[in-house]
Formats: sequence, structure tokens, C-alpha cells
Amino acid sequence: MQLTWKDIGTVPSSNDMLDIVLNRTQRKTPTVIRPGFKIQRIRAFYMRKVKFTGEGFAEKFDDIIRGFPNINDLHPFHRDLMDTLYEKNHYKVSLAAVSRAKTLIEQVSRDYVRLLKFGQSLFQCKQLKRAALGRMATIVKKLKDPFAYLEQVRQHLGRLPSIDPNTRTLLICGYPNVGKSSFLRCITKADVEVQPYAFTTKALYVGHFDYKYLRFQAIDTPGILDRPTDEMNNIEMQSIYAIAHLRSCVLYFMDLSEQCGFSIEQQVKLFHSIKPLFANKSVLVVINKTDIIKIEDLEQSSQDLIKTVMNVPGVEIMQTSCYHDDNVMQVRNKACEKLLTARIEQKLKGTARVNNILNKIHVSTPQARDELDRSPFIPEEIKALKKYDVNDPDKRRLAKDVEAENGGAGVYNVNLKDQYLLDDEEWKNDVMPEILDGKNVYDFLDPEIAAKLAALEEEEERLEQEGLKQQIFDAKIKGF
Amino acid sequence: MATRTQFENSNEVGVFSNLTNKYCLVPVGGSENFYSAFEAELGDVIPVVHTTIAGTRIVGTMTAGNRRGLLVPAQTTDQELMHLRNSLPDEIKIQRVEERLSALGNVICCNDYVALVHPDIERETEELIADVLGVEVFRQTIAGNVLVGSYCSLSNQGGLVHPQTSIQDQEELSSLLQVPLVAGTVNRGSAVVGAGMVVNDWLAVAGYDSTFTELSVVESIFKLDESKPDAISSNLRDTLIETYS
Repeated sequence: MQLTWKDIGTVPSSNDMLDIVLNRTQRKTPTVIRPGFKIQRIRAFYMRKVKFTGEGFAEKFDDIIRGFPNINDLHPFHRDLMDTLYEKNHYKVSLAAVSRAKTLIEQVSRDYVRLLKFGQSLFQCKQLKRAALGRMATIVKKLKDPFAYLEQVRQHLGRLPSIDPNTRTLLICGYPNVGKSSFLRCITKADVEVQPYAFTTKALYVGHFDYKYLRFQAIDTPGILDRPTDEMNNIEMQSIYAIAHLRSCVLYFMDLSEQCGFSIEQQVKLFHSIKPLFANKSVLVVINKTDIIKIEDLEQSSQDLIKTVMNVPGVEIMQTSCYHDDNVMQVRNKACEKLLTARIEQKLKGTARVNNILNKIHVSTPQARDELDRSPFIPEEIKALKKYDVNDPDKRRLAKDVEAENGGAGVYNVNLKDQYLLDDEEWKNDVMPEILDGKNVYDFLDPEIAAKLAALEEEEERLEQEGLKQQIFDAKIKGF
Repeated sequence: MATRTQFENSNEVGVFSNLTNKYCLVPVGGSENFYSAFEAELGDVIPVVHTTIAGTRIVGTMTAGNRRGLLVPAQTTDQELMHLRNSLPDEIKIQRVEERLSALGNVICCNDYVALVHPDIERETEELIADVLGVEVFRQTIAGNVLVGSYCSLSNQGGLVHPQTSIQDQEELSSLLQVPLVAGTVNRGSAVVGAGMVVNDWLAVAGYDSTFTELSVVESIFKLDESKPDAISSNLRDTLIETYS
């Protein structure tokens, strides 16, 4: 499903639209016609103009209609969000007006082409064409307001944050000025504006962070006041829709110091009035600004009030201080953990899906089937080996570095014989013939050649020794 | 240690390299980046060898080996064989195999003690594998796939198999191989785990696309950097369920 609408084409104003299409007709159709031409040729000339202009408008309108999302095909969250932001009916009516204008223009074009077939003279044909284009222009001029509105919608749509309704989401909500945006700043890299007045945040803001190798989105919502939903303004409604439609873990923020301008009682009341929206969601009540006051320091009556919140099933309370960056990560992790547990529980209910993943979380461990030793083989040197670090100034010199020093890839040729493990270093670059005297050398290569040579040499030496003895023996005999 | 790299924009590290406990084969590429990815982790402890096999760069697909030996296909030229002989330590036996299924890396999946092979491999090859590599040989399929080398990645400490392997098959394979096994993916969901990564007893190298979740599964199941396979069913469980469904 589409989550962002950044690439909708611009919607020109109605006057610009006229200029664009009529200019195009002027540029792309023939312009020279004379009274002496055959009447068929004159008719064809003007018919072409009318048809071309009609098609031009139709094409442009079609682009506009197809560029904007169909509000009924969207996820309920986006549908309601767009309803509050742009007024669903107005949006639909505007698009419908464009669509109707398209059919009207096509109708005009068809009618006048038919009339032109019976044109008797150049003058008559020209007047018909003028009338046709004039009627089309009137239709387009009537679209002034829809076009202006659609252009505004387009610009706003392109700037909407990309919110995925189905992914892992933490939703931060509460009264204005209780520290929702500060919390988002603490846990994500989102650069949300934080100011000491109510309704600093007027739209939804999204930040992302990783927990347990998974990507989470955290959504900062505008503050909500405790009043019936039909009295709420557009800014508050965005929060309400986010809470209602997104599968998320809701973080309800409270400010016990009452610096936000709302009493503890009001904050607890708001929680209870939006409680119905929390069905099937994990909820965490976060007490913010503990640098000023903690639950324990409150009066008994206020503590009892807060206890009523805890009595709601599945709700937990945590304390944090975004100002001192205290306990913030614990709150985040707790929320993520709650959300993951809920999501996984739900996923494990579907049998078809589960069968696909069970083998990925199941490690089969073998029963020993014999007495054989199958221990791993890790050389001792590897433990002593210094870990390679790119930023280390005296890191090992790699083949890559040698390559870079010698002209880089494509220029440098690695010497494959450099790493040979031979008895004598000098043999490395010896030329080894492949074919010698018409014979493949390798066919005659004997793996034991070195041993055989050694044996031969030994024998020769032995014979030599024996020969020497023989000579001495002979000499002795001669001496007698 | 599990790292990520790419060979000339391809994530199929297992196709282009062969890593064992005693040596590592990499192809002769356009640049030294792929070679250095291994060199950086292995240092001088075991040789990292540039080679081609039968003139191709898919050295991981064409060869199968462990710390005792190396099997190369019949198409390997004499020059390549000589080059390998000169580059590898003497105690490693190198043997050319006359086998119709010449992509030995695809049809043989082995560690230092056991090997799974393609069911249609010839008897002579089977004997060669047992002799040269010093392993027990089993004819097996993985999740119905005959190319056991492509769909299984194996070390002496663990193994990763095709993501669709049933738990029953997993148990069976694990008792044959005598190592813990888990089903999983590499390279952002690729099922060809054998061709997508290489592993030995202390190092795993996967494709650049691999997600962190996949790498942590790899580290756990192959017990790299003191990780334990139990982590998969405890710490990583939530993450895995969330990513795979």
C-alpha cells in the first residue's frame, strides 16, 4: 500500500492550464491555411485542431485525477487523516468536478468535429473551431477553485510523514505540553520542535529507532484536551485517529508537576475518556518530569487518582525525565517489549504463518550416535591475531592496499606466484613449461620425485663410498 | 566473527569462494577487495589463494574441501592444479574428480567429519570423498533439493539449512551431521544459504545484503565469537518471528 504521496504532478491554475494546452495546439498542429485550398483539406485542418485541443485537455485532467489517491482505497488511518486535513467531501467533489469537465470537453470536441464535417467555407470552419475552443475554455475556467484547492492538497500531501499503519509503532499521546515531543527527541533522531507552550506540535511527527534488530516507528501526536470528539479541532482529531487506527503501543504521558497547565485530575480524566480507544492495544502510562516531582512525593488524594489508572487491565506505569535523560531508555524498551509480545502472540495464533517460522527458531541438537570426536578445529594463532580495524594507523597491509599503491584496480596485476609455499623461496618465479618436447609435462610429473632423487643420491654416495673402500682394498693387495 | 562482503556486485559469496579451516580459495577478480575481505580476517594464519577452476571464477561452486583435502572437477587444468599444489600446504591432498556432476561445491556439503552429497553422485566419487576428505558420506536431500551444497552451509560447530526445511528433516540431518542445525536465510531472504555464504570454525562471510538479524543467527548457530545456538530460540526469537512473518 502506498504510504507517501510525494510525486503527484503539480496542478496548474485554470488560466495556466488554458495557456499550456492552447499553446501546445498552436505548436503541434499546422498553422497555414488558405481560402484556395480544397474544402476537404480545410475541414481536416480545423477538425484536427479541435480534436487535438480536446485530447490535450482530457489528457491533462486524467493525469490530475489519477495522480491523487482514491480516498476509499486507503488504509482507514490515512482515510480519516485526510478527511480531517482536507475535508473528504470537498476533496471528492473537486476531483469529481475535474472528471466531469473531462467528459464535457470530450463531448464538445465530438460535437464540433461532427459540425465541422459539414463546414462549407474556410470562414465557417474557422468560426466553428473558435466556438469549440471557446466552450472548452469556459469549462476549464470554471475549474478555478477545484484546481487551487487540489494544488494546496498536493503540496500538503507531499509533506505528510510516511506512517506505516501495520509496522511496529509506539504512539506518544497526552495533554498538551506534558513532554511528548521531548520524549520523541530523546528516543529517535527526529528533530521535533520543543517549546514551553501548548500545541507546539500541530501535526503528526514520525521518528525511527532500532530495538532488537527491528525498526520501530515512534509517532508524536499533538496534545488532546478532554472534551467530546465532535467538539475537537482538526489538530486533536489527528491524535485521536492515530490512536484509534494504528496497531501500536500507546504511551500516555502525564505531568505530575502540573507545569503543563492541567491538573492531575484532568489528566486522569482524559485517560479514562479516551480509554475505549485503547482496546486491543498495549498501554503504558508514562509519568514525565520526575526531575520536578515523583509519584511518591504527591499527596495521598492525587496518588489515589493515579491508582485508578493502574486498575485498568493491561496498563502499567513508568516514571521518566526527558530533561535529565533519566529512565528514558527503560521506558522505550519496556514499551517495545510489550508491543512485541502482543504482536507475536497474535501472529502465533495463525497456524499457516507459524509453520513457516517454527523451523527458523528451532535449533535441532543431535544425539551422539557414536564415540567419535568431532571437535572444532581452530588454530591457536587465530586467537592471537589482532582484529583488523580500518581506522587503526598500524593495521595490516592488505592486498587491497598494495593494489592501490600500484595504480589501483585494472592497472595492477597481482603476482599469483608470490604466495607459493615452496622449499626454496627462489623457486617461486621459476618458469615451469607446460609442454616439453611435445609432451604434457604434468602427465609425467611424479609426486614422489623428490624422495626418489634423494634415494638415488644416497645410493650413489653409498656406491662411491664402497668404491673408495674397494680401491683401498685393491691397493692393499697390490702392496703385498 | 561474521562479516559481509561482495564479489563484483554479487552477494553470492559461497559461489565465488571456498573457506575451510586450513585454507581459503578466492577467484582472480577485477580488484583485490574480495580477497582482502578474507585476508583482513584471516591474516597469515591460513593461506588465502587466488585461483581459477577450469578457467572460471566460480571457485566455490566448483570445488569442495575441508582441512584434510580439496576436490576439484575434472575440467581443472594442469596449470591450475599445479598452482593449487604450490599454494596449499603439503598435508592437504588435492584430487581431481571424474564426475558428471562437475559443480562439486553444489553437490557436496561437508565439514571435517561428515559430508552430505547429491543422491545421484557416482560410487567412485563417493569413495574419493571419503578417502581424500576423510569424512563419512551420506546421500541426502535438503527440503527436497538435491543440490545439498547450495542449500546447506556447514562447519564443525553448526549448520544453516534451506528456510523451508521441516523440523523433522532438520532433526534427521542434525543427527547425521552431529552438529546443531537451524533453518534460515542469508542475503536478505535468499534461500540458497550454501551459495550465499562461506563459513569455517571461526569465521563466516556472507553477502553484503545480509541483514543484521540473519548475521546474528549465523553467529549463534556457528558459535562464532562465543555465541550460543540457544540464543536463536531465546534472545532472537521475537526478532525472528517479527521479521519472517
